Amino acid sequence: MPVHARGIDGEWAFAGATGVGVDVAVVDSGIDAAHPQVGAVASSVAFAWDRERREVVPDDRAGDLFGHGTACAGVIRRVAPQCRLHSVRVLGEHLLGKGEVFATGLRHAIASGARVINLSLSTGKTDFFGTFHEIADEAAFAGVVLVCAVSNVPGPSYPSQFSAVVSVAANDGTGPFDLDCNPEPPVEFGAPGIDVTVPWLDGSTVVTTGNSFAAPHVTGLVALLLSKHPHLTPYEVKAVLRAVSRNAVPPGA
Amino acid sequence: MTADALLAELARVADALGPAVEPPGTERLLSSLAETARRLFGARACSLALLSDDGSELVYTTASGQGADAVTGMRMPAGRGVAGWVVQSGQPVAVSDVRADPRFAPDVAEATGYVPQSIVAAPVVSEGDVLGVLSVLDRDAARPGADADLLLLQVFCDQAAIAVEGARAFGRVAQVLLGALSSAADADTDLAAALAGAARSGSAGRDERQLRDLAALFARLSRAEPDAQRLALDVVTDVLAYVERRGSRRPGG
Repeated sequence: MPVHARGIDGEWAFAGATGVGVDVAVVDSGIDAAHPQVGAVASSVAFAWDRERREVVPDDRAGDLFGHGTACAGVIRRVAPQCRLHSVRVLGEHLLGKGEVFATGLRHAIASGARVINLSLSTGKTDFFGTFHEIADEAAFAGVVLVCAVSNVPGPSYPSQFSAVVSVAANDGTGPFDLDCNPEPPVEFGAPGIDVTVPWLDGSTVVTTGNSFAAPHVTGLVALLLSKHPHLTPYEVKAVLRAVSRNAVPPGA
Repeated sequence: MTADALLAELARVADALGPAVEPPGTERLLSSLAETARRLFGARACSLALLSDDGSELVYTTASGQGADAVTGMRMPAGRGVAGWVVQSGQPVAVSDVRADPRFAPDVAEATGYVPQSIVAAPVVSEGDVLGVLSVLDRDAARPGADADLLLLQVFCDQAAIAVEGARAFGRVAQVLLGALSSAADADTDLAAALAGAARSGSAGRDERQLRDLAALFARLSRAEPDAQRLALDVVTDVLAYVERRGSRRPGG
């Protein structure tokens, strides 16, 4: 069902939405489900690189090793309180096989039934251009929205620079709906990511800044949108996000 | 080729590498970078940690400010803390208001007795490979915008990456030097085998450092006064001959 730009506004997109029924995956460092600002985590899996076998293997340790995945989950929960959170841990103890582990975790998340996936990490290894391009296309065709934090590091960044994903940088907004769209891609959206209070390890909270905290704001908004309008495709989701941005030109203007 | 002719040749090659890439220059440059960043951000401390070869540890190579002596040389698991997340995700992050929670960076805090209130950390990246992380502790809280400082810190990270890459290239050249020495030494001697072994294992962290130091010594030797040069060559030649004789006097050999 095509969506007309006319009539697409914040009210249409989000009013009354809670994220209920929408599965959201956080591909990061794990989630501390015991943190009161995160609440229930519906499932947790982890992947790691086995140095001897030189392949990706499941990892049975639970929880969050760094605090970052918990922070992202907390932001998503704040925006979409009733979504179902799933943790896919791909960051571990060393960097060997990082690209492979990341790709495996992302593929798992896409196949798991999640409608929206938060990626506050990326790879700059050109060897992985093809792999992540393919995965981004798979996600788009499967109706899964990938929300990626834009990398501040110069040079390539996969999959955040691909057109099939929603890429996000930090703006100075403070509310969950303070979304901006950038007319000059590949960075497409700005969302609150400066001095944001987030949950961290051991039940603590910290104030953080980074594009990686802007992405989960948008992930939360997409969960809200899909709970109200479950049939939207990733490209329609992107069009709605543009339409509800603070700097969008209203229809007929 | 006689041993002293060979050494003289090696010294000429080492000298041709130029003093610009000599390791002490790299260390001074990195120290200056850390000091400059610390002052610019009005911070209490600034440190550079580089990943070990297997990517499992962060080794603090350079530090300026509070706790600098204690932190320099420290090795931390790369799977922990804010610095760990930065190298694993490749994303910069600023965390402030950590509420004096020592779990935030427990090992560093314990070793230095200094628990920061805030951290700005960005990845040091070269050609898509994360080499390490540059961290600024307790930047001047009166400075505006952590987001602007994140971008500014990235500039320092780019410079650090260039310096580290240069030093590593020097290490690889040292490997080539040793390789040449081993192939020029009389074949089938233990010395030849030992040199070849040293050249082969040169990619391991500590060995690479020794190789770099060795190459730097060759370079210094080539710039010494003629008398000092002759004396040094005599000493090296005699030591090599002694080692060779000892090596061949094995049981049954």
